[in-house]
Amino acid sequence: MIEVRNLTKKFETVTAVDNISFEIAESEIFGFLGPNGAGKTTTIRMLSTLISPTSGKIIVDGKDPQKDGGYIRSITGLLTETPGMYEKISGYDNLDYYSSFYNIPDKKRKDNIKKYLKMFGLWDRKDDLAGTYSKGMKQKLALARALIHEPKILFLDEPTAGLDPESAHMVRNFIENLQKEKTTVFLCTHNLEEASSLSDRVCIIKKKIIKIASLVELQSDKKSKKAEIVFKDTARKYVEILRQIKEITDIEAQDNKINISLKNAEIINPTIIKSLVDSGAEILYFNEIKASLEEIYLDLIKEEEK
Amino acid sequence: MKNAAIIFKKEIKEVIKNKNIWMPILIITAVFSIGMPLAITIGSNAILKDGDTINFINKVFGYTDDPMRVLIGFTIKQFLILLLMIPAMVPSLIAPASIIMEKESNTLEPLLATPIKTSELMLGKSLTALVPAFVISTINFILLAAVIDITSYIKLGFVPLPTIEWVIVAFVLSPIISFIITIISIIVSSKSTDIRSAQGIGSIIIIPIYAIIGFQIAGFFLMNIVYLLLGCLVLILTCPLLLKLCTKIFDRENVLTKWKMK
Repeated sequence: MIEVRNLTKKFETVTAVDNISFEIAESEIFGFLGPNGAGKTTTIRMLSTLISPTSGKIIVDGKDPQKDGGYIRSITGLLTETPGMYEKISGYDNLDYYSSFYNIPDKKRKDNIKKYLKMFGLWDRKDDLAGTYSKGMKQKLALARALIHEPKILFLDEPTAGLDPESAHMVRNFIENLQKEKTTVFLCTHNLEEASSLSDRVCIIKKKIIKIASLVELQSDKKSKKAEIVFKDTARKYVEILRQIKEITDIEAQDNKINISLKNAEIINPTIIKSLVDSGAEILYFNEIKASLEEIYLDLIKEEEK
Repeated sequence: MKNAAIIFKKEIKEVIKNKNIWMPILIITAVFSIGMPLAITIGSNAILKDGDTINFINKVFGYTDDPMRVLIGFTIKQFLILLLMIPAMVPSLIAPASIIMEKESNTLEPLLATPIKTSELMLGKSLTALVPAFVISTINFILLAAVIDITSYIKLGFVPLPTIEWVIVAFVLSPIISFIITIISIIVSSKSTDIRSAQGIGSIIIIPIYAIIGFQIAGFFLMNIVYLLLGCLVLILTCPLLLKLCTKIFDRENVLTKWKMK
């Protein structure tokens, strides 16, 4: 659905995006992660035809944004990081205004306005001025605006920022459901838990692409892994045995549990278990602790900075 | 065109609601299109009793045996120039408000993400300033003509307006000035972050209009058809350059990356 090849964007002397390439399939949720100033918003703006690349190629739904900008904008929806609304007109009129730029039959347009205002719990306040809405309500209205023409591709920049936990949960469920409707979602977020739960794949960027993979792939690629060993009796007496294994980089013991960080886990795990059993340990559980996206992200960013 | 009309329709509703735009226009209309011409034509007998006025008329227009007609003719020339304030002022009040409101509310990016063309956006915004400017200016020129014609007819039995000069000022020069001030106001607004500074700069832009008004009142020149046509020609020649600059400023990328935002 989206194909990006060697994309670069420079603003005078500053390189905002440096030679990035990726592909996004139809109905995929693609998490786009990176620190502030990493080029996320610039990439979204290039993909949604708002700005043009300095070099490289973009294909969206088979079309070139430089030639078919109008078409691409008609099949994409954009939720910006700071979504603004016309504060002196009602929430309904805001949606009515924006939706009128799309080529949608009037009845369908009105039906969609009603559908999304109801879906986001704004129908009862539809005639109130948007300026009187809370931050969360404005965010939901902005999301409704991005969806009003039922786009094939949705660019979401921090979709749950400013939302209360219940609304954020509702929006996350909604994004998940978009997949069933074959909508492709390009999700920019600093909320790594959100990215982890929603994304089929994530792309970590810091001007250049650091990594693109699914969470499972990222977890299995992680060089340093963690494991939890649960003993039948107290764990402290086995710490010294574990210290002798050089692949173990960190040990934390508490009650009958030891958490270890280790390299080459698949090779060394049998050795660890054998050493412990030989020393008389009765092991109840030996579990791999999967690294969270946050840990992986921080490691990758740290490595990139080195 | 459809999209430009959508923008115009929405914006004009907000202009109509905005008292800050209407109040100064109403005051100027009341003073310069109705009050002062009425006072001068009604009080022309008293004015002509003043020896200095007669001397001035004789000096500028040569000796005349009908100073009343000369005074009314002179009054018309003065007010035609004075009323050029309106086609200049209306766009300088509306255009910055329309652009800066978008900046203040962060609504430009989502708007540019719709299939709208930037030319349609620029046209919609320009029409929002141009249409009221044209309508209000025309009403004012017609009011001026009505006031002067009615009072002159009652007092002197003749109707001095319309003249060719009136037609050129009302229907050629006035729209050109509105267009130029609209385009300049849009250019200025792209570099401003608040409405006061944009309108402040806008008021500087219309200084040349005030200067022309001042020069005529001070007697440096007196408007005639040659001056008017020459002025129109010069202004028309600047229009394509300003339009080109404005179109460049309204490029999607420029709006998002080079416009000064809040």
